[in-house]
Amino acid sequence: MLAELARQDQIANDLANGSTPGYKADRSAQGSFGEMLLVNRATGAEVGPLGMGAAVTTARADMSQAALRETGEPLDLALEGPGFLTVQTPSGARYTRDGQLMLDGQGRLATDSGLPVLDDKGGTIRLGTTADVTVSADGRITVGGRAVARLGLVTLTDPVKQGDSLFAGTAGARPDGTAIRSGFLEGSGVDAARAMVDMMTSLRAFEAQQRVVRAIDETLQKGISAGSVSG
Amino acid sequence: MPIGIYAAASGMAAQQVKLDAIANDLANTGTAGYKGVRVGFADLVYTERGGVQIGSGATAVDAGRSMRQGTMTPSGDPLSVAIDGRGYFQVRQADGTAALTRDGSFRLDAKGELVTATGARMVPPVTLPAGTAQEDVAIGPDGTITVKGAAAGKLALVEVPAPEGLRALGDNLFAVTTASGAAKPAAAAGEIRQGMLEGSNVDVATSMVELMAAQRSFELASRAIRTQDQLMEIANGIRS
Repeated sequence: MLAELARQDQIANDLANGSTPGYKADRSAQGSFGEMLLVNRATGAEVGPLGMGAAVTTARADMSQAALRETGEPLDLALEGPGFLTVQTPSGARYTRDGQLMLDGQGRLATDSGLPVLDDKGGTIRLGTTADVTVSADGRITVGGRAVARLGLVTLTDPVKQGDSLFAGTAGARPDGTAIRSGFLEGSGVDAARAMVDMMTSLRAFEAQQRVVRAIDETLQKGISAGSVSG
Repeated sequence: MPIGIYAAASGMAAQQVKLDAIANDLANTGTAGYKGVRVGFADLVYTERGGVQIGSGATAVDAGRSMRQGTMTPSGDPLSVAIDGRGYFQVRQADGTAALTRDGSFRLDAKGELVTATGARMVPPVTLPAGTAQEDVAIGPDGTITVKGAAAGKLALVEVPAPEGLRALGDNLFAVTTASGAAKPAAAAGEIRQGMLEGSNVDVATSMVELMAAQRSFELASRAIRTQDQLMEIANGIRS
C-alpha cells in the first residue's frame, strides 16, 4: 500500500505540472522486497518463503521530448532534441528545459524565476533590450544584427529534479543536433490520459491491498476467538 | 497523510493564476497599448521518501508581459499617436509620480497642455500655443510637434533595460521597478506615427485556446485531489 501511495503522490505532482514548460513526468517501477525463508527452529524443516511486500524500486524522470507549442515570443525558447540550458543559481550551476526567458533588472537573460542563463563559456548574457533579439537554431543570440553570445547547452547524466524547473546532474558536452526554436515553448511531458489511467489503476491496486489487509485481520480474529472458545 | 493532495491543490492554484491573467487579457483586447501577461509555471521542491523523489506541486511564475507590437489602427485624431518600436512615453501622474505608457491617445487640457486620456502630463511637459486647432498639429516620426509649421515641442521616448519588470499601475500606465531598471531617454527606441493608435497585443484566438487548456489542467489537478481523498477513505476502511 505504501508503494501505491508514493506512486499516487508522483501522479498528483505530474498532474499539478500539466502546464509547466519543460516539465518531465515521473515514472516509477515497483519491485518486491527480498523474500524471507521461514525455518522451524526446533526441527530445521523449511516452512516456506515469506514475501515482505512491494516498494518503489526505481523512479526517474521520463526525459523524452514533449510537443512544442508556438507562442510567438522572441524570448520563449524550446529545445528540440536532448540537452539542457545552463542556469546560474546561488547553489551553483543548474540545468533546465524551461525556456520561458526574460531580462532581469540588469538587462541579463534570465529564467522567469530571475536566474541568469549562461552562455557556452559559462558567463551571463547581457542583452540590454528585448527588441530585435534573435536566437538561431544553434543558439547564437543577436541584438539588432550584432552577435552577443551563444547559449550554453549541455547533456546531463543522471538528471535529478530540483524544483523551479531545474535539474541537477553531471554536465557533459554540447549535444549534437539539438535545435533551439525561438518563439516556441516545450510543453509539459505529462500525458493527461496516461496519468489518469495510472491514477485509477493505482487506486484500485491500493483498494485490493486494503482488502488483503482486512482479510488477514479477519483471519487473525477468527484464530483468536477460536482459541478463546477452546480455552 | 499523503502530500499528493497538497501537490494537486498547488497545481489548481497555479492554473487559477493563469486563468485570472487570461481573463484580464481578454478584457483588454480593446485597450490601446495594452500588453498581454506572460504566466510561466515551475515545479516546486522535491523531497525524498524511501529512495523516491516526490514533488510537491507547481507554482505560477510571473514572466512579465509580452512586448510584441500591437496592431496599428488609424484613429483619425491628429492628437493620437502610436509608437512603432520598443519605447515608452514618460508621463507624470496627478500625484506627481512618473509612469510610462504606450497609450498615445492624447488630448489638450484647458490650458492647452498635451495630456493622456486620463489627464497625466507629459515629461517634459508639452504645451501648445493658445487657440491651437487640433487639425493644425503635425507630429513627425521623431516626435517633433509643429503647429502650422512652427516648432511647438517634442514627444520624447524613453526605454528600460527589462520591460518585463515593469509594474502595471492600471490606466495603461507602468511604473519603473528595480527589476525593470531605470528609464533612460532613447530617441532610437521607436518611430511615432501620428493619427494611429497601437491596439492591444492580445491575440483573442490564442488566449481562448490557452483558457481552455488552463481549465482542463485545473480539472485534472482536481481529479488528483479526489483520488487522494479516496485513498484516505480506503485506508480508513481497513478497520470498519
